Amino acid sequence: MTKIRYYGTGTIPGFESGELPGRLIVLEGTDGVGRSTQVALLHEWLEANGYAVTQTSLARSSLVGPGLTRAKQGHTLGDSTLNLFYATDFADRLEKEIIPALRAGFVCLTDRYIYSIIARARVRGVDPDWLKNLFGFAIVPDMIFYLEAGLEQLIPRVLSGEGFDYWESGMDVLRGDDIYANWRIYQTQLLEQFRVIGQEYKFTHVDANRSVHEIFTDLRRRLKPILKGMRPAV
Amino acid sequence: MATLPDGTLLPGRLFVVEGIDGSGKSTQLDLLHKWLVSEGYLVVFTEWNSSPLVRRTTQRGKRDRLLTPLTFSLIHAADLADRMERQVIPALKAGAIVLADRYIYTAFARDGARGLAGQWVRRVYSFAVRPTVAFYFQMPLDEALQRILVGRPELKWYEAGMDLNLSPDPYECFRLFQQRILKQYEAMVEEFGLTVIDATRPLVQQQQQVRALLTPHLHHLQKSTPSPWRQVLTREGLYGRYLHTTPEPKEEP
Repeated sequence: MTKIRYYGTGTIPGFESGELPGRLIVLEGTDGVGRSTQVALLHEWLEANGYAVTQTSLARSSLVGPGLTRAKQGHTLGDSTLNLFYATDFADRLEKEIIPALRAGFVCLTDRYIYSIIARARVRGVDPDWLKNLFGFAIVPDMIFYLEAGLEQLIPRVLSGEGFDYWESGMDVLRGDDIYANWRIYQTQLLEQFRVIGQEYKFTHVDANRSVHEIFTDLRRRLKPILKGMRPAV
Repeated sequence: MATLPDGTLLPGRLFVVEGIDGSGKSTQLDLLHKWLVSEGYLVVFTEWNSSPLVRRTTQRGKRDRLLTPLTFSLIHAADLADRMERQVIPALKAGAIVLADRYIYTAFARDGARGLAGQWVRRVYSFAVRPTVAFYFQMPLDEALQRILVGRPELKWYEAGMDLNLSPDPYECFRLFQQRILKQYEAMVEEFGLTVIDATRPLVQQQQQVRALLTPHLHHLQKSTPSPWRQVLTREGLYGRYLHTTPEPKEEP
């Protein structure tokens, strides 16, 4: 059993306290660091070993997902609005997916949590205290893996993936139209914010400059103590 | 003056009306709006829950009953934030009068009634401009209910507070929900220094009181260029309530 702990004052009516038998595992990190690959591998590995697993990711809730995609296409949202939109989306997933899964005893693998939202907002100059209060309704995960790699390692991965994304290059905040140069500047700022946030929220650092297999092995090793008693004894 | 959260003074003025459903605040704001326009002020009107970007999500959430107290609170904050950034702040910077039908106090009252922590909600809304004057139209619950429920209109799910399971009967649930909201409002009068208007008085007297309270705040404001028919309205003391269907006459070149 994990006792529910909130970052701020408990503000979810109906979920104020209690214990949840599941485990909340978060993978964080910047663009191209390989989060989704590791989430997919962990999901399969955990299931193959008899654990009950669910997966969630950012900006995909049934409530806000479509509205958020639409709003981002127009590039028209201001900072407070966008963060409140993200917060709504996150709250929806927390209440409708994550907490029920944890209550049912699942291992809940989450590709990004509030930290990505906070980091991107802090780069844009949003008041850190306001953000901290806003996400005070978030429950504290059992483990936060922060996948960290240098920019030079990330570039080939981004290029062989979806390429340089408008938002991940900070094109809304930086001047000029050089998406490569802006991506470098923006990601450097983002890494700096993650460093600060990581200390505050106690990230577990994972060196993501290594091969996919090495990272996977490392994550598995660190997960084991947390998953104790989670597997049905045959 | 209206004040940004960081203390910056904006040349415009922000006047807001608050109160429970049925208190008559929207009628009073409407009268005020027409008067200010006829006096030649530049007036921008903004309404609770009306951001074009956010509204579709809110509407869907309400229709499909997807909203919990937490997401209900956050999506309304997103709505105000969008209007604040794109409508209210630019207008105040330009020296206009902004009239808001419901403001942050509506959120504090409703979210509080839904059981969210008051301090948390207040900090979420700390991005909002501090109003020049916030009017609270005070009315006893029974009188407000009588006005709203005459003819037994169909109450919407969230409007009636049905998400709180206070009662299986929508009318009884609405009454209990409004009672909670009223309690929240009453506590905020002192907390935020709301200007109380006795909403049981005759409509015209309330309007006179509101205008008298506003007048000291109306100096050094942007005035709109009067159009030919606006001048007629001012001279004749008319609102021009049927003119909106008529296109504005073009100035002679």
